[in-house]
Amino acid sequence: MPSVEEKPKPFLVPEYCKGCGRCVNVCTKGCIAFADEINPLTGIVPIVLDLEKCTGCGLCIDACPEPYGLRAMEQGETYELQDPARLFGVRPDAAPAPVDIPARKVPLPKTQPLIIKGNYAAAVGALLAGCRHFYGYPITPSTEGAELMAKLLPKLNGVFLQAVSEVATVNHMYGTGGAGIGSLTFTSGPGFSLMLEGISYMVGSEVPGVFVNVMRGGPGLGNIAPEQSDVKLACRGLGHGHSHCITLMPSTPQEMLDYAILAFELSFKYRNPVVLLADGYLGQMTGKVQLPDYMVKPGIPGWAVYGDQGHRGNLISSIHLQETDLEKFNAHLEAKYQSMKVEARAESYLTEDAEVLLVACNTPARAAKGAVKSLRDQGIQAGLFRPITMWPFPVRQLEALLPRIRRIVVVEANAGGQIMDELRLNMSQAGVEKLPPLTYVRRFGGMLPQQTEIVDHVNSILGK
Amino acid sequence: MSVFYQKFERHSHGEGLKGQSTHYCAGCGHGLAHKYLADAIEELGVQDNTVLVSPVGCSVFAYYYFDTGNTQAAHGRAAAVALGHKMANPEAIVISYQGDGDLASIGLAETVAAAQLGAPITVIFINNAIYGMTGGQMAPTSLMGQSTATSPSGRNRFNGEPMKMAELIASLDGPVYVERVALFTPAGRKKAARAIKKAVRIQKEGRGYAFVEVLAECPTHLKMTPDKAEEWVKEHMLPIFPLGVKKDVEVEPWFKLPAPSFEAETFTRTVEASTQAQARFCKGFPAHLNPHDISMKLAGAGGDGAQTAAMLVAVAAINEGFDGTHIPSYGPESRGGTSYADVHVARDEVLNPASPTPDILIAFNAPSLAKFGLTVKKGGFIIYDSSVARDVKPGDPSITVVGVPFTEIAAGLGKLVVKNIVALGALQAATNLFPTETFIAAIREALKEKAKLIPLNEQAFQAGMDAAKEFLAAKQK
Repeated sequence: MPSVEEKPKPFLVPEYCKGCGRCVNVCTKGCIAFADEINPLTGIVPIVLDLEKCTGCGLCIDACPEPYGLRAMEQGETYELQDPARLFGVRPDAAPAPVDIPARKVPLPKTQPLIIKGNYAAAVGALLAGCRHFYGYPITPSTEGAELMAKLLPKLNGVFLQAVSEVATVNHMYGTGGAGIGSLTFTSGPGFSLMLEGISYMVGSEVPGVFVNVMRGGPGLGNIAPEQSDVKLACRGLGHGHSHCITLMPSTPQEMLDYAILAFELSFKYRNPVVLLADGYLGQMTGKVQLPDYMVKPGIPGWAVYGDQGHRGNLISSIHLQETDLEKFNAHLEAKYQSMKVEARAESYLTEDAEVLLVACNTPARAAKGAVKSLRDQGIQAGLFRPITMWPFPVRQLEALLPRIRRIVVVEANAGGQIMDELRLNMSQAGVEKLPPLTYVRRFGGMLPQQTEIVDHVNSILGK
Repeated sequence: MSVFYQKFERHSHGEGLKGQSTHYCAGCGHGLAHKYLADAIEELGVQDNTVLVSPVGCSVFAYYYFDTGNTQAAHGRAAAVALGHKMANPEAIVISYQGDGDLASIGLAETVAAAQLGAPITVIFINNAIYGMTGGQMAPTSLMGQSTATSPSGRNRFNGEPMKMAELIASLDGPVYVERVALFTPAGRKKAARAIKKAVRIQKEGRGYAFVEVLAECPTHLKMTPDKAEEWVKEHMLPIFPLGVKKDVEVEPWFKLPAPSFEAETFTRTVEASTQAQARFCKGFPAHLNPHDISMKLAGAGGDGAQTAAMLVAVAAINEGFDGTHIPSYGPESRGGTSYADVHVARDEVLNPASPTPDILIAFNAPSLAKFGLTVKKGGFIIYDSSVARDVKPGDPSITVVGVPFTEIAAGLGKLVVKNIVALGALQAATNLFPTETFIAAIREALKEKAKLIPLNEQAFQAGMDAAKEFLAAKQK
């Protein structure tokens, strides 16, 4: 006897029916109707099936918007309610356990130092860290970094994509970072402001990525000359919610390279974006830059949504709908931020016997270093404390210097004292309430504090 | 059905009925689009490679349901995020699933840019002419006269006309396939399922960007029963948003990303890092100019070549094993404005790379002399272009002033642009900052790609040296 396979007829677990009735209208045989009663489990009136006249045309199944609503009934199945867990059988292709492909180091030959400007150095640093994806929108004074990446990345089979905006940029980075692959952008104040929403999402979804902000004068369009205008933004204002990023502040082209490498390492270590705050002057400054003896070949972390079988089960999302879940997640973030404190870095220059301590970052730190030298020539025991991470602030390193210090002078290039605010807030939060008298040298609007101004200020506060 | 999770554990932790039913309202079009997308992924065998980008809007929780890689994007940014995924892994099948507010309002720039780029991603656009998640506000695709929470007396001209996205996207060069489908008839649903499958297949084949607009029902916020909502879409949306294929072209697959290179030799070549040591000519640090750190300023107008000359000094310093820095400062003009360069040459480390009080000033014009002449340190040097300034008197008698006609010499050599090299020759002869060979090596290195210019530049350098020596000899007499 030749067997004739019947077309499957519809099958429904009433609890999964929302009673929309899209199936009722399509059935030409009148097999489907609304039930008479509300289903006590759902509070909804489901449909009921009377399959006597059913031809198995399947139109009702196509019309049902619920994945587990009307389904084709396999031969031999009954209409009886079944345990949902066993309803559809064990699926052989459930997502496998995530796979972690580790990064590794590729040795590099010893080379002569490069002689390049700060923006270039940060770009080369990113390449050394294994970054092969750059997204960005041109903005002065950061653009050379993007231009160099546009030139070099194709030679390394990398991706350079000029985004339609900074908003698009950060979301390209979110996608690439979510895939477990590091990416870089260069920007400056106005562009960085636009990226903040996306940075908040990256923090909330624990996605890595490195932002080089070559700071310029603000607010608004301001100008394209150097300022340290975005310290507050990077340390306290990374979009909405409880968001922080490790914020590095290099002061030489060599450090632009070194800390770009470090930024990628930390970004993946903590699954968090990292901000490299440079200033327009440093970005343009050409200097000697020595390459390390290795390059990183990145892997694919276990948590990534890479788009392969080994990572199919993963999710990148910042949504925690239940309040208790979001509270737990924020506690997790806070614990992570606390754990980042071990990354606090600072450089101390002639501080062993210092009584006057200059505090400065980026290019102003170089003027301050020059001032320390001049002051020492005058017989004043001056020293420089240079935070390299502004967040986390190097609290313990500064605290250790305090016993000898009689005056602290914060040298910075913004009008409101953003670095001084960080110093006070961080020391206070760490319980270091007693600080020596703080004064400051500030220039802004694109002007940088000059060595002579610093020397004059120190002389004036010492009554000389 | 295997592409749907067996249990929707991300939906309220999968407890109770939510483990098996969606969060969508009864009769919502999203569920159908989800089913067709799941079928397409399964039938094309791309489940393992799929990355689904959920937007903000009612489909924000698409990741509850699809057993694929999932990323949830910020409002409007799904297409940008999708591109990020595609660039990270070109083998991934990346699907951006978005509603009308997300795709056609807040994310319009990202939507259009991604479409025009044309990289192979699949965009599923659910157009139900209203904002669902936030509770029935006007959408960019709401119809004229349509009453919503934010257009209570009907959409009017102050809100603009509804956005016709399929037509807009089809008008771009990037996309290869654009179709608008609807869900209100059995035949239409079949078409919708086919269109979605085709849009995923096009990506699987690497052919390009595909966009499917789905006219969907939102019974809740249209305040209608599901069957009335179907009728409403047919009667009111269809005339504004006509169905059909808007674009379907064959193009040669172009999106190919080779595996990124992490090969050491390729890298050092790419960043132009040399493994060969530079020859050194200095016997020691030129401490006669400053014991630790020589500061210089080169000042002129844009085009004088002050920056190139400054760069050559910094390079020469570093080649000799010292520290060197160079900082340019320009006026806002690209050409013809002021152009100043601060250079430092330090025995160990340049502490402060700015040169407010230089040891050496090289001035290419009279305004620069006027601006910086008096900042030069006692015992320092002023080297200036005597073609354009005459009889320069130092602010302090300890300062050596050397006038060399940079411009005239360069003009005599037939190339005005070498006047900065003339200036460097003068610098060498006047200060003995570095031996001649150091400068020449730096010039040759800089011109290695334009070797035929080397003799001219060497001539210019020599002429500058000769003129400076002549000037100093004349002065001594």
